[in-house]
Amino acid sequence: MLSALLRIGWKKLWTLFFVSVISFAVIHLAPGQPSQIDPLNPRFTPEQLERYRKAFDLDLPYHVQYVRFYRKLFTGELRAFKDSQPVLPKIVERFWNSFPLFLVGTVLIWCYAFPLGIASAIRRNSLFDKVTTVIVFALISVPGFYLAYLLIIFVVQTFHVDVIGLRTFGREGVAAPLRLMDRTWHLVLPSVLGATAGIAVLSRYVRSQMLEVINSDYVRTARAKGLGEDTVLYKHALRNALLPFVTMLGLLVPALIGGSVIIETIFAWPGIGRLGYEAVLSRDYPIVISLNFIAAVLTLLGTLLSDVLYMVADPRIRLEAE
Amino acid sequence: MRVKQILILAPTLVSLFLLQSYFWVPTFEEQVKGDPGRLTRYIQTSIGDASILNPTLAADSASSDINSLVFEGLIDRNRDLAFRGRLAESWEIFEEAYMVVDDTQRLPDGNPVTADRLLRHLEKARAAGDPALRLVQKIELLPGQSKIEQIEVAIPRQESGKPKKRMVEVTVHLPPRLKFTLSEVDQDFFVKLNSLLRGYGNRIDPSRFIEGAEPVITRERAAALVPPTEHNPIVLFRLRKGVLFQDGHEFDSGDVKFTYQAIMAPENLSPRVPDFEPVKAVEPLGRYTVKIIYKRLFEPGFGSWGMGILPEHLLNRERLKAEAIRLGRDPKTYSIRDSAFNRAPIGTGPFRFAEWKTDQFIRLRRFRDYWEGSPNLREYLYRVIPDLLTAELTFYAGTSDAYGAQPHQVERLKHDPRFQNFSRLGLGYTYIGYNMRRPIFQDVRVRKALGMAINVQEIIDYVLYRQAERTTGPYPKQTEFYNPTVRPLPYDPEGALRLLAEAGWTRNAEGWLEKDGKPLAFTLLTNLGNEVRKAVMVVAQNAWRRLGIKVETLIMEWAVFINERVDKGDFDALILGWSMGLDADLYQIFHSSQMGHFQLNFVGYSNPEADALMIRIRQEYNRARQVEMARRLHQIVAQDQPYTFLFVGKGLTLLDRKLVRMIRDPDGTPQYLPIVADKLGRINFHFNQWVKTSEPVLAAY
Repeated sequence: MLSALLRIGWKKLWTLFFVSVISFAVIHLAPGQPSQIDPLNPRFTPEQLERYRKAFDLDLPYHVQYVRFYRKLFTGELRAFKDSQPVLPKIVERFWNSFPLFLVGTVLIWCYAFPLGIASAIRRNSLFDKVTTVIVFALISVPGFYLAYLLIIFVVQTFHVDVIGLRTFGREGVAAPLRLMDRTWHLVLPSVLGATAGIAVLSRYVRSQMLEVINSDYVRTARAKGLGEDTVLYKHALRNALLPFVTMLGLLVPALIGGSVIIETIFAWPGIGRLGYEAVLSRDYPIVISLNFIAAVLTLLGTLLSDVLYMVADPRIRLEAE
Repeated sequence: MRVKQILILAPTLVSLFLLQSYFWVPTFEEQVKGDPGRLTRYIQTSIGDASILNPTLAADSASSDINSLVFEGLIDRNRDLAFRGRLAESWEIFEEAYMVVDDTQRLPDGNPVTADRLLRHLEKARAAGDPALRLVQKIELLPGQSKIEQIEVAIPRQESGKPKKRMVEVTVHLPPRLKFTLSEVDQDFFVKLNSLLRGYGNRIDPSRFIEGAEPVITRERAAALVPPTEHNPIVLFRLRKGVLFQDGHEFDSGDVKFTYQAIMAPENLSPRVPDFEPVKAVEPLGRYTVKIIYKRLFEPGFGSWGMGILPEHLLNRERLKAEAIRLGRDPKTYSIRDSAFNRAPIGTGPFRFAEWKTDQFIRLRRFRDYWEGSPNLREYLYRVIPDLLTAELTFYAGTSDAYGAQPHQVERLKHDPRFQNFSRLGLGYTYIGYNMRRPIFQDVRVRKALGMAINVQEIIDYVLYRQAERTTGPYPKQTEFYNPTVRPLPYDPEGALRLLAEAGWTRNAEGWLEKDGKPLAFTLLTNLGNEVRKAVMVVAQNAWRRLGIKVETLIMEWAVFINERVDKGDFDALILGWSMGLDADLYQIFHSSQMGHFQLNFVGYSNPEADALMIRIRQEYNRARQVEMARRLHQIVAQDQPYTFLFVGKGLTLLDRKLVRMIRDPDGTPQYLPIVADKLGRINFHFNQWVKTSEPVLAAY
């Protein structure tokens, strides 16, 4: 088992290397220049542009740039073009801003998707199933930003409270519990919006998975044994239906650093999605490549985690080594 | 069944916990009314965060917003856009000019030139009241000297086209020179002097003074090392006494010199280098006077002294070194760009920095010892809200006082009695540029006809909701340089067809215009993401097609558009805009020397008269003469139509009506005055006098 893990780890390292090359290449091959090197600033001379390129290492051959870049990244010396601030603390700060959104969003998705999916599966073709199907597809199709505006306008006009940002702006010197509740309130709208599409999609998966299991032989056997309907559904059927979702836990890991550009922009949330988006627009290479690289590391870790989880959950699955 | 219970309980509990938090949050009314501090706190929202709070390093508008409150320059512009002293109380502009003594020549009286003879000859002419020397106050003789210099030369190679560069050592024998001190800057001084001395200046050969790598030094390089004649405009600033930085340290001439050096130091990578490159030296003359010497005539350089002044005592070598050591960084490579100062700045402006939460807000507090008196508002908050609709919502709810409203948002809130609005005309114009390297656009009649086919008024009315004005030339309409007598091209498709016919383009059997069997066809480009340009594109294409021109259109991503098409001159026609400064300099955009790759005259405009005017305009320090030449230039450019000049955007700024200016009478009673906008529509000219009252105190105006 250990040797198998090592072998997988080795493979993933190679993947990581290729990802690092590709993420470096993609941004450098993309048209455009860092916004500091703005060719349309009328008073810039070629010598000055050259000086910027040199300071940003952009005058070197690509392979040298690549080596220097990752060396700086690993030693923590990497600095953003925009403000010469170290990249890693910046990313960490944004990560902690985005984390509550991610956490509450994920909790909402998993809390709602399962009951909804299971209920629709059990009452297949009932009115409830049809109504949820329509609502779910509506939620999948409606653009997130549109829904966000509708919700914000509705809440602001009806309840007259602030919903933008991390906390009520300009409210200072209040007690800790009040602050906590204030922050919780500000999480509600963005995380609900972030979760809608997730709930919609995941509940569909749950429904189909559940349907498949309900119609299988062992469920019929369980019923034939004379077990109660609840025991059949929640003990025998649900457990097996849940199996594929275990792997999904692993895939959540890379989402940690994804953030949501649209939700964070609309809600003035200083999160990691906005950091990445603004960096791409101004071609701030250090931030873009670092984010890409970290996302790649997390994705690989996530897949590893889901492999392991699956193995633990389903004894039939074994790593190839054994 | 426990699983079933969990499935129902979990979402219910989570939802309840989230929703109950609503009861702990204050409503807008409670925030605005229940917080007396809100009246002395001004909240501005912005779509982007600042990047670097150092005026010598920042290039984005958000950073400038903050820097303009924390820092202050030597000068700024008053409400009529004329220069006004800030850290400088007053200034003088004059000139020091130099001319080499060339002893191979003869004076007009036949005697060979010597330094003394030349000086005596000129002194005599001055005493006789010769008009060439009218402005001269003093003539001095400077001795010559020799020095050794390393210069880089390019040696052309026969086979490969690329010249090789290498350093050579040359000896420069700087001959004796005459220094003239002039009471005002005169770009024609040497022209007049030359006619007095019968072409003396033109005959000086500078290569004579360079010894060494003779064959590789061109005459231009020699002239750069030993200029035969040289204009050095001088600005003498008298500084305000007793001005304090926000840490209590007094501002003086050393800070001015330091700021200049900080900009020019290569390791700081200041984007402001081009503005200060024409400066030769900054010399403090005592604590409160500073002399700025320019390398050459460059009038637009004066406005650059609006640049915020940095505190030398916080950013000098020793301080940076100590900071680098504290952070464990290499003191040799640690520059001002790395310093923590850029995230907690200290200047001489009316507001002092207090707090910065990246991408959330920046907090400033008033500086009570500001030299012009403390601002009325206690706090300035700059809140980052990247989305315009949510920014409008916070404004509407009263939790912000100003935001960058879009035209359609202004339409919504303009008539709301709670708000006041101010109209402003932009400094940028939108145009269609024609690539004059392409044969079809070389004929001015074609360019003119294309402009006449477009109904610009229709674009303004229907695309821009009337939030724009027509423009006829390259200058901002608020400046004196804009020539009001130039008439816009009429909308006249029939006339356009006649002009095209004159140019040889006639309709063929299918209705398309052609000349010598070739159709009039081209592609119109613009960049992605600008809806107004896109709409203009459709209008233009439609108008031109109706004349019988085959127009293709293409919208490209900005970076590709600029790098692959504009910079390489690979386009037929394009829609773009320029955002102009307040000076009269158009050299980079329209001078024929600026047509190369990555230069800004990408349409390839060339007109000898315009070229000469552009150079004279940037060298002219007399306002009236400069205005006259600029208006003539406007006229020429409008005649040549390298662009179809379309429109200048207009906008409205919205503010809470409870914001007013307050000044105190000598006996201390407050007096309320309305906030007024300047010529550019900027409202914050009197920002230090602003207060927010709990109820509107002034009737609608």
